[in-house]
Amino acid sequence: MTIRRAFGFVAAMLILALPLNAGDKGQIQKYFSDAAIKVKAAASATEKRAILNESLKSMSDALAKVQSSGLVSKDDLAGIDRIKAVLQEKQDELAGINGYAPVPDEQLDSFSNYVVQDMEQAVTTITISLVALLLIIILVVLLV
Amino acid sequence: MHSRHNRFIRAPAHSTLFAGVGCAAIALFLSSCSADLSVQRETQQAEGFEHTAPYSIVCVIHGDGEYLYHDTSGIEYRADEQAVRAAQRVAQQNPDAEVFIFHQRPRRHFLFYFPLRDGEFYYYRNGRLIAHELYWRNQEEATFDGEVELYRRFHADDRRDQVSLFLYCGHAIPEFGGAGYDASYPDRAFTVRDLAGGLKELTRDSTKFDLMILSTCFGGTPYTIGSLGSFARTIIASPENLHLSYFDLQPLERLDLGMRNSTVPDFARRFARHAFDRLTKDVQTAVSVTVYDVDRVRGFLRSVQSVYDHTLTTLQGRSKASLAAIDRCDCAEVPAFALPAIAEGVEVFYRPARFGRSKLKQSHSGWECWNDRAQQAAEPRVHDSELK
Repeated sequence: MTIRRAFGFVAAMLILALPLNAGDKGQIQKYFSDAAIKVKAAASATEKRAILNESLKSMSDALAKVQSSGLVSKDDLAGIDRIKAVLQEKQDELAGINGYAPVPDEQLDSFSNYVVQDMEQAVTTITISLVALLLIIILVVLLV
Repeated sequence: MHSRHNRFIRAPAHSTLFAGVGCAAIALFLSSCSADLSVQRETQQAEGFEHTAPYSIVCVIHGDGEYLYHDTSGIEYRADEQAVRAAQRVAQQNPDAEVFIFHQRPRRHFLFYFPLRDGEFYYYRNGRLIAHELYWRNQEEATFDGEVELYRRFHADDRRDQVSLFLYCGHAIPEFGGAGYDASYPDRAFTVRDLAGGLKELTRDSTKFDLMILSTCFGGTPYTIGSLGSFARTIIASPENLHLSYFDLQPLERLDLGMRNSTVPDFARRFARHAFDRLTKDVQTAVSVTVYDVDRVRGFLRSVQSVYDHTLTTLQGRSKASLAAIDRCDCAEVPAFALPAIAEGVEVFYRPARFGRSKLKQSHSGWECWNDRAQQAAEPRVHDSELK
């Protein structure tokens, strides 16, 4: 019984430590960087577009879920709105809608770098709480 | 018997599992502390000071925040650590300089309780490392007392004609508010005014830095340049976002050669050009590097000061949620700032983002303003073609 209790305590420590370590914005940045690597490795433009679109959409969906969870503050909602708007611009440009010409096939690799760099800048300038950040990471990074 | 046998088999398995998980927990626990107890104070005696130091460089590198970025191969870097290495290269390559490097690190604790020093200081003179110490940044308020004390202790005040440079690397320095700039001190505020306070202490003999390099996002605002311009003759800053790879410091290496037969403003122009060329090679987002001749921009700053101050006062009164909707823009796009004097005393190196709404923007005034979108929607927009 003592061993079981001790084991439980140590396991709980590890489980609690996981989100603490994951709870930095670096996880979100890594998500987009990984997507860019996949884009560059993809053979065709169609595949590159699909990867980019999927990564942007998954993040947008996760942000929408976090917003509707009722667990985040008003300030977080505003911060998440900003990130969603930045993501929407990228999706529009990729698809060539809302006043954008579609990103040419030969520029998709550069566009993936642009997404990484622009999101790095957006994520560092927009303030969101640790709770919101953890929810986003759990929804989009750890469950994907 | 069967049950006893099982218990006999299970007991060592439990122990092994427990020991394994325990080791993992301890490793995790210790990694969270990662005490750097090896460096507390390594200071050589001053016997190497027989050489003069015609150049003095002070580098403050902020590292208490989100400074992770990825290169195009997906390799992760921490911007502050990269900046410290670059500053160390500058220090080692300058036989005629003294170089102060202050690395402001996150607050950490040993064994989750005992606070560790959160600043790391290097002092190089004539290319040699003279001092390497850990120091305390101020725990309550964001002042530069720790840095100023070390600066005064080591500064080689042996030449009146010493060329002095100040470099700040970090995120955009807030013009108001500023709480949370230091991620590990969420209640502590840091603003342009705090940096100006630190510079005032560093330049207490009323001399100015010959060149100030602000390697931050949104450094080229009327308020920032106006406030910090009291402590520098020439400033290099990025009015828009600056990628975390920062300005390349390579031109600061061998200042004895780089500044030979050259004025500081000429050198500043070369530095800015080099930083711009380097950034535009790797970065797809906008790149803007501007050189400000502090004396010559005063006229423009005087003309717009009341308008800009009014904007800051209005923004200060807003909620955090409402501030999230406010963006920045080129001052030339705001009618109150689009004055003939806007181009006086600035040299701008600009390339728009390769993608996005502003990819066709041809130029930048070198000044960045606040852009309240709700207010902007009600005002006529100045188009790029009209800016030329």
